[in-house]
Amino acid sequence: MIAMAHAVISCLHANFAALEAVLADIDQQGIATITCLGDLVGYGPQPNEVVDLVRQRSIPTCQGCWDEDIIEGLNACECSYPSQLAERRGHLAHQWTAEQLGEENKAFLASLPMTLRRDRLLFVHGSPNSQHEYLLPDMDAFAALERVETAGAETLFCGHTHRPYVRELRDGSIRARVQDGAASGAPSVERQINLPMRRIINAGSVGEPRHGNTNATYVIHHEDTDAVEIREVPYDVERTCRAIVESGLPPIFAWRLRHGFEYAERADDASHVCER
Amino acid sequence: MSQTLLISGPPGCGKTSWILNRLQNHRGPCGYLRLAGYPDEGLVQAPDGGIDLAYLQDQCPRLLDLADPDQALASRPANLLALIELPQFQPPADSGLAGVDRRVIPQLEAMHLSPDEHLHFGRDDLLPRQDTLDFNSLQALERNLAGSVWDPASLSSFWFELVNGAYGDVYRAKALMNLPDGQAFFCNWMVSQEGSQFLPLQSIAPPDCRPERLSRLVVQGKDLDPTALEHTLADCLLSDAVLELQQAPLRQRQAPSRPSPAK
Repeated sequence: MIAMAHAVISCLHANFAALEAVLADIDQQGIATITCLGDLVGYGPQPNEVVDLVRQRSIPTCQGCWDEDIIEGLNACECSYPSQLAERRGHLAHQWTAEQLGEENKAFLASLPMTLRRDRLLFVHGSPNSQHEYLLPDMDAFAALERVETAGAETLFCGHTHRPYVRELRDGSIRARVQDGAASGAPSVERQINLPMRRIINAGSVGEPRHGNTNATYVIHHEDTDAVEIREVPYDVERTCRAIVESGLPPIFAWRLRHGFEYAERADDASHVCER
Repeated sequence: MSQTLLISGPPGCGKTSWILNRLQNHRGPCGYLRLAGYPDEGLVQAPDGGIDLAYLQDQCPRLLDLADPDQALASRPANLLALIELPQFQPPADSGLAGVDRRVIPQLEAMHLSPDEHLHFGRDDLLPRQDTLDFNSLQALERNLAGSVWDPASLSSFWFELVNGAYGDVYRAKALMNLPDGQAFFCNWMVSQEGSQFLPLQSIAPPDCRPERLSRLVVQGKDLDPTALEHTLADCLLSDAVLELQQAPLRQRQAPSRPSPAK
């Protein structure tokens, strides 16, 4: 057993075969601590099976945007859809999932916290501000640092973008010149605040990859060395594709998953925060 | 001196692009005719529905439509370059004019057209050779999109899915598509070439209604799934209410600004 390592999974999207494969991979590594960053449901064909398994394994989980929308009876943040086509497909998936999901599982999703914290590690779905905000790897460094620092974290684990990455934010500093208005002519005082190194770790996606191939992704954080490992796990994609077609979801979802494309494209504005 | 050329070749070999190039480089009057072509064993011709003519007329506004009966009866202008496009899967058995498919001759005669030269893609060196494909079986699918306006981002997603095989194994796709700002694009893809062409038409419709220009999608390939394609189209095209929502600010921006009142 790797005592000082923990695994972080995200964006399961009702893909049971992918979740089984990832959990088997984590078990094989001898890792006992797993954290889930939400989006257990949405688009995929097995919402109940996925939620049941997460509950059975008692995996600490924070709430994703799809989890919130299903229980709130809202369609996923409409202003974040990049196209009318994506919006229509998202609505269809939302309606189907809401009909399929059992009441107990809805109650479980409703009970999930927005964030989880372990010492200086913070776990969120999108960003500390919102489940809908994308923290993309090329986001403005100062804005990214602000997200981590104001949340009081050293390392922020997030998902939502479906693309795994590790980003170190170092050598940040703020310089300010302060003039005492009451004493005109008084010399101004210059201050420099050096910001500590912070990290954003994106766990990618178990159930709906957006990194270029069909493999599920998750991350392992070795706390003793602070090293982060991005894991890619192949799984039986065809099993999920068959389930999509058999369940009555649009066959195009199966085609997209089989080719390593996300069900719906991400929003054009990566820093978009829904004001709903 | 006037010249009449018959250009034939399989789908997606570059006939229309070559013809456009010739038309744009000819200093005198130009005419164009597209023949329907004939099916071969297991190979279906896709009805073009006027896409090629509409695109060529947009690029060469004075292009004569040689299929117009009035043109057939009118006396031809001097120095006319008449280009006739014929979709044809298999190479002709004979070279030159002797290789012209006998079945098209009565059609040409009815329009008072007599080719001076016949060029076939893959046979004649005057034409580029790299694009021709061997086809064994081919289906065709077409959709009249007259009056339809696309959500631009949805068009991008749909075209990506179409040419990457989400609705069957596509060898050739071409379309004229309208956008809410009045622009239209000639979308062109063939399996033998990398990437799609999205060529804007020169004519721009006013953003106050559904454009009246020709709009159509033509696809050739195997195992095509018209039902799935139809579902996606329905999710991509704009309703009257959404179209108005997108066009209203464009109209406001285009309206001449009122002079400010004198102080």
